[in-house]
Amino acid sequence: MVVPLSEMGPGERGIVVNILGGHNARQKLVSMGLTPGATIQVLESHPMGPIIISVGGVRFAIGKGLAGKVMVRKL
Amino acid sequence: MMKVVALAGNPNVGKTTIFNSLTGMRQHVGNWPGVTVEKKEGILEYGGEKFLVIDLPGIYSLTAHSVDELVARDFLLKGSADVVVNVVDATALMRNLFLTMEILEMGLKNVIIALNKIDLAEKRGIEINVRRMEELLGVPVVPLNAKGGVGLDQLKEAVSKMAAGELRTNPVVPKYDGDVEREIEHITTVLRDTKLADHYNLRWLAVKLLQRDDGVIKLVLRHLGKEKLDEIMGHISEVEERYKRAMDLIIASQKYEFIDRLMHRFVRYSHEGGETFSDQLDRFLTHPVYGLFALFGVFYVIFKFVFAIGLPLQGMLDDGFVAFGQWLAPHITNEALRGLIVDGIIAGVGSVLSFFPLVFLLFLSMSILEDVGYMARAAVVMERIMRKFGLPGKSFIPLVLAFGCNVPAVMSTRTLDDERDRIVTMLVNPLVPCSARLSVISFLAGAFFASNQALVAVSIYATAILLALVVAWILSRFVVKGEESPFIIELPEYLIPSWRTVTLHSWERSKEFIKKAGTIILLGSIAIWYLSAYPVEIGTGGSYAERLGTLFEPYMGLMGLDWKAAVSLLFGIIAKENVISTYGIIYGSVDEIVNAMTPLQAFVLALVTTLYIPCIATIGAIRAESNWKWAAFTVIYMIALASIVGILVWNVGTALGY
Repeated sequence: MVVPLSEMGPGERGIVVNILGGHNARQKLVSMGLTPGATIQVLESHPMGPIIISVGGVRFAIGKGLAGKVMVRKL
Repeated sequence: MMKVVALAGNPNVGKTTIFNSLTGMRQHVGNWPGVTVEKKEGILEYGGEKFLVIDLPGIYSLTAHSVDELVARDFLLKGSADVVVNVVDATALMRNLFLTMEILEMGLKNVIIALNKIDLAEKRGIEINVRRMEELLGVPVVPLNAKGGVGLDQLKEAVSKMAAGELRTNPVVPKYDGDVEREIEHITTVLRDTKLADHYNLRWLAVKLLQRDDGVIKLVLRHLGKEKLDEIMGHISEVEERYKRAMDLIIASQKYEFIDRLMHRFVRYSHEGGETFSDQLDRFLTHPVYGLFALFGVFYVIFKFVFAIGLPLQGMLDDGFVAFGQWLAPHITNEALRGLIVDGIIAGVGSVLSFFPLVFLLFLSMSILEDVGYMARAAVVMERIMRKFGLPGKSFIPLVLAFGCNVPAVMSTRTLDDERDRIVTMLVNPLVPCSARLSVISFLAGAFFASNQALVAVSIYATAILLALVVAWILSRFVVKGEESPFIIELPEYLIPSWRTVTLHSWERSKEFIKKAGTIILLGSIAIWYLSAYPVEIGTGGSYAERLGTLFEPYMGLMGLDWKAAVSLLFGIIAKENVISTYGIIYGSVDEIVNAMTPLQAFVLALVTTLYIPCIATIGAIRAESNWKWAAFTVIYMIALASIVGILVWNVGTALGY
């Protein structure tokens, strides 16, 4: 099932399949390792705060808006 | 000429530690020409030879979206370095090798990989076969634990060998799938006939064109003409149609796939680590509620620390300058010269310089928080709140720093990677009451509102902070152009800071504060001293300053203040504490000041002192970090704001019968 990263809960894992949105946001995500094919694990997600994820051994905090542009196939 | 060694790598990979170890104390911090990206240079001596080491900004890629990336890319592209040391974090190889591939793709043949944090990687069960890695990447790889000082000699040796041309490399470059490679082939064939072929690696240009890189498109347009370029771009769109994805994404993901395939041949992950200490700490520190409490706790402790040590030192320095002036005065016989040196330069520059301990301690605390890895967490916690006012969470730090002193706070806006965010944060920064204004506020609150002292002080602080946020909202919406920056922050591993790095860094930054005192503050002090001493001494009513003050009298009257306030505020531009000391000079004693003003007038004076023109040092800092235009803009909007608030409070206050 493909969902936006913003809708994944803590502990869930998935593989990035696509990144929507503008060139700018996309480039930023891609250079940080959030690219199609990358495995993502959600560590924390609070209703009001950003999502904390782990990609390739690195942790990131990512805003809900931006996370909504990352399409992930749930594992 | 000295051989040039450039350090390139992602943020948080230990580049600074390596830079410091290579160059020791012999380093210099400035800005890259034309931009405010920090430029660090130092000298490395090895085997009787000297090398100029340049620390490029920490970046994730060479796509040239931020100034940092552009600086690093241009530097590498121009072939300005004899040796490029690419610092790679062994615990996050995949992401780090992305930048490595971008560097190698440029066609550079002089790259050495410094594989840092090798100890941490081992601890996490990441086994790296360095020999194999070297073979597969085609460049030398030196394993390092920079913090522990392991492997640095090997790195120096590799650098010196490469500079001497004794190391041969055969760098690997990413291979893409059939469709993309065909496009690359096609574009390179077209470009081969142009002058570009003499200066650039054609494969790199082709890949960048595929990614629709603005800079490269312009470059190619100049050499190829619009028609041929359009044909190429049309081709690219066709491929995108087939993939149903943007080309930059296709390239990036295939680059990662390529790296992944390589990595399988030299890395083994022996065990999947469970929840680490960092994970547990993050659960707490990035939590929307607990994290906020932790944040306030941390900053409370820091301010306690900075002020407990810094304020007494500031007092001592201030006394020291005064004593020095008094000692020096009798030794200068020429009266005009004595006034210039003692009352102008020593008193003026001294009162600003006495803030140096505060500036240094603030920078020290911030460097420690940065090195520990806490700053990223603070930014995460504040993101949601700051965003409401058009600012990113990261700009919380410069605003908090401003409570101590606006100068280092303005300088610290460098850590914001988005230009618009940086300018807005810088422009509202002087609205946050610094410790100099604290002294004015507490004096007036203490003298006029004995029973409600704290309440008055708090209300002035609250007004100033509220205005800072409102102005930030307005500026980010209507004045400073640019789109909202996407929010993604790497949360680095928590680490014990290296004292050497932290103190060196704080010193480098606070040194700039002293430099400013030597230039802009010096000139300002002399000008203001002149106004107060000529044609007759201040206090007599005939000095230029007092005449100027009288000129402003009608205007000051709108907010219930007189010419004395105008003179005091004028002198307050050097350093805001001067507002009170000038009153002291004009009136002679504290009692007389208290008799001369009503509490409402004192309240308005405190408010206006807090909000009007920032001190000279801050104006200088804003100019240095941006340009004259923004510095002037800050001065003007703050005068306007202070006037509006002053007039409003005075009139409402009198109407209410205060």
